[in-house]
Amino acid sequence: MSLKPGIHNFRTKITKILRSQGVLIGLVLIIILASILERSFLTVSNLLNILRQASALGILCLGVTFVMMTGGMDLSVGSTVSLCAVVAVSIMNKYGQGTASNSAALLAIFTVLAIAFFIGVTNGLLIVLFNGRLGETFIITYGMQIVIAALALLFTGGQFIAGTFGTGLYQWMSTGFAPIILFLSLALIMHIVLAYTPFGRQISFIGANMDCARMSGIKVSGIRILVYGICGMCAALTSIIVTSRVYSASPLQGNGYELDAIAAVMVGGTSQTGGTGGIINTILGVLVLGVLGNALNVIGVDANAQLLFRGAIILVAVGLDMWNKSISLKESAK
Amino acid sequence: MRPLSSNPRLPHGFSTFVKQKTSKRETSVEKYILEMRDITKTFPGVKALDKVSFAVKQGEIHGLVGENGAGKSTLMKVLNGVLVPDSGTIVVDGVPVTFRNAKQAQACGISLIYQEFNLVNTLSVAENIYLGFLQTGRAKFIDWTRVRADAAHLLENLGFDFNVREKVQNLSVAEKQLVEIAKALSVNARIIAMDEPTSSITKKEIDKLFSIIRRLKERGITIIYISHKLDEVMAICDSVTVLRDGHIIDTKIATETSSAEIISKMVGRPVDMKYPRRPPIIHDEIVLEVRKVSCAGFVKDISFSLKKGEVLGIAGLVGSGRTELVEAIFGARPLQGGDVYIHGRRTSIRNTADGKRYSMGLVTEDRKETGLALHYSLADNIVITNLQKLCSGIFVNKKLMQANVDQYVQELGIKTPSSRQAVMYLSGGNQQKAVLAKWLFSEVEILILDEPTRGIDVGAKYEIYLLMNDLVKKGKSIIMISSELPEVLGMSDRVIVINEGRKKGELCGDAISPEAVMSMAIQ
Repeated sequence: MSLKPGIHNFRTKITKILRSQGVLIGLVLIIILASILERSFLTVSNLLNILRQASALGILCLGVTFVMMTGGMDLSVGSTVSLCAVVAVSIMNKYGQGTASNSAALLAIFTVLAIAFFIGVTNGLLIVLFNGRLGETFIITYGMQIVIAALALLFTGGQFIAGTFGTGLYQWMSTGFAPIILFLSLALIMHIVLAYTPFGRQISFIGANMDCARMSGIKVSGIRILVYGICGMCAALTSIIVTSRVYSASPLQGNGYELDAIAAVMVGGTSQTGGTGGIINTILGVLVLGVLGNALNVIGVDANAQLLFRGAIILVAVGLDMWNKSISLKESAK
Repeated sequence: MRPLSSNPRLPHGFSTFVKQKTSKRETSVEKYILEMRDITKTFPGVKALDKVSFAVKQGEIHGLVGENGAGKSTLMKVLNGVLVPDSGTIVVDGVPVTFRNAKQAQACGISLIYQEFNLVNTLSVAENIYLGFLQTGRAKFIDWTRVRADAAHLLENLGFDFNVREKVQNLSVAEKQLVEIAKALSVNARIIAMDEPTSSITKKEIDKLFSIIRRLKERGITIIYISHKLDEVMAICDSVTVLRDGHIIDTKIATETSSAEIISKMVGRPVDMKYPRRPPIIHDEIVLEVRKVSCAGFVKDISFSLKKGEVLGIAGLVGSGRTELVEAIFGARPLQGGDVYIHGRRTSIRNTADGKRYSMGLVTEDRKETGLALHYSLADNIVITNLQKLCSGIFVNKKLMQANVDQYVQELGIKTPSSRQAVMYLSGGNQQKAVLAKWLFSEVEILILDEPTRGIDVGAKYEIYLLMNDLVKKGKSIIMISSELPEVLGMSDRVIVINEGRKKGELCGDAISPEAVMSMAIQ
């Protein structure tokens, strides 16, 4: 009130831009800062490297975004990645010797897609059965995470599996532009689905107000089950890219992936209560965390200190989200 | 039980009441306990209150009426310190005061009871009453025995006796209200403002509330009674002040005015008819038939039919099973028995999507919880019921969506700066129209309206009645649930009465009378 109108206007404008484009601004700032500190950061090869590394987690984030848009959470994706990883590599080792490699790759991919879809649908069914809200989705998918992690360990007897299969399609999945193209095209498809199809609009609406969605004649249960299934399939694709890169599989491959994914989605600005955000947000969130990690590496920050930055940026993002919400609340009070 | 005098908070309060009753009231009946002078409050773009002067006499029940957005809530928020006015003064007992927050207003003896109560559901009654003022004993631990005894005393003095250890979430709305009143008394409130106190309680409970209000009045406590329901205001209030567009229009002694006069002052035009007439347009065709439907455990064997072009009213008390019945028919809760026939064909409706497929739409009683996604835009809310209608190929066609939304915004007269406005910024009446628009957009034939005019102003109510008439004229059929008896009587072609989950009777034509309906509803 005491501010002059000009200044006040300027401040509201800045606030508005910060609120809507905060993540993008953060991303640009990190890139500028990193390129000033280390010239080798802003090279084509490094940027491609960043994208390649971010793609695996990025695909997982796309699925998690769908789940979070409905106002839910999926903690089981990490161990789903682990299970899919050991299954896929086992199939490759068994059937993918020499020239049979390509057909074995297809078999491996479709098998793990099916397994992960089944896991996701089971999550969804349980959640729908208990008419679960955010809290229940946490606990149910956490329980599932433990079960799946155990299955992965049992499957290999707790052993690490080294790759022995022949080169071909499976290896191609993590080389050159392949993972980047896979991530971006999947992102494009899922963005279009979320933003422009009735299915996607209903997903967002369920997150905005689930009771209202149900009372509006939307098949809430069916959509939720399907969304968890899609999320599981994203985890399967992630496992393929990761195992293809490391040419091996561990029953602990996906440990902690679920939290990395949730963090990236939230940094992008998709709210954990559902209804707001989207795929574009998630791409930005994935890039912020990916670029940050790479920048810290290139600059030569100690690995332990890197965690400090990672944590800080997640906290800043959550703070920004809260701030955004409190402003909306104040506006609505008027 | 502890004697009153040993309680430092309570007896003090009660002795104050007694003093006021014996000295002040008898000597100066005309004295104003509260004067708000030239209060102006502006929000960005709106002048919510424009030099409002409002005076309340000691010990009276003063009604404050006005349409939504008239400024009642703003005025009350200024009174209890939640909002600070741009200009103007508040005078309590002849002394000018300024409140920066609700606590300061409370210290001055002013308490406001909100429509959506300010209680912590998971805490006990006693804890809620003394929240923030819990008595501590020697070792700074809470002295529960004392807190409970005090709370019990307060409630007893209101003429009620219930377990103060009970959690608030287990209380009925009317009981919660009582806790709020006790809470106000616990801080020695001399002026209690009640915002829409009867919006969700039954007729019986309203009578109880009125007797409590009268008892408070006897103690010399001044009540400001804010309500849409004019007949109640006329019944309980000594004087009535009408607020319109941020201006005080008039203050009247209740006995010297009529509902019609107050309504015309509220809306700024004479209202000749509360319920618009419509020519009989009922077809013979039965669109919906409900046979021996049971649901929710206590609704049993209810049968009725609905004809094309008919408005069927469902009357009954809150909690009689009306809402459960229509939810079961629509598919929002499982049927436990019976059948629903649409156009003579038996249906199996298992979820709301099935209900919608059979061309039914349900406007729920709580538009904020189940009617709208509040932070989504008006457009997004309207089209959600039938996105397929907007599709070209597999994609939602934004242009088609805009055209459709514009059509319904215009048809229903929804006042909004843009269809991209989030619905939470719309007034109650416009929100209600938005919920209706959802189902009109979906082109349903059978529209079920559960409390379609709850908490909206007189003008918007009338518009909704006109809309209902328009819909049946177009051959749609309507089922309307309402707690407002005059509304059921005024709008329905036929009325069924539900009482404790059973159908108690069916009335049509001249047989529909308030006495007939009420006697079935409460027996």
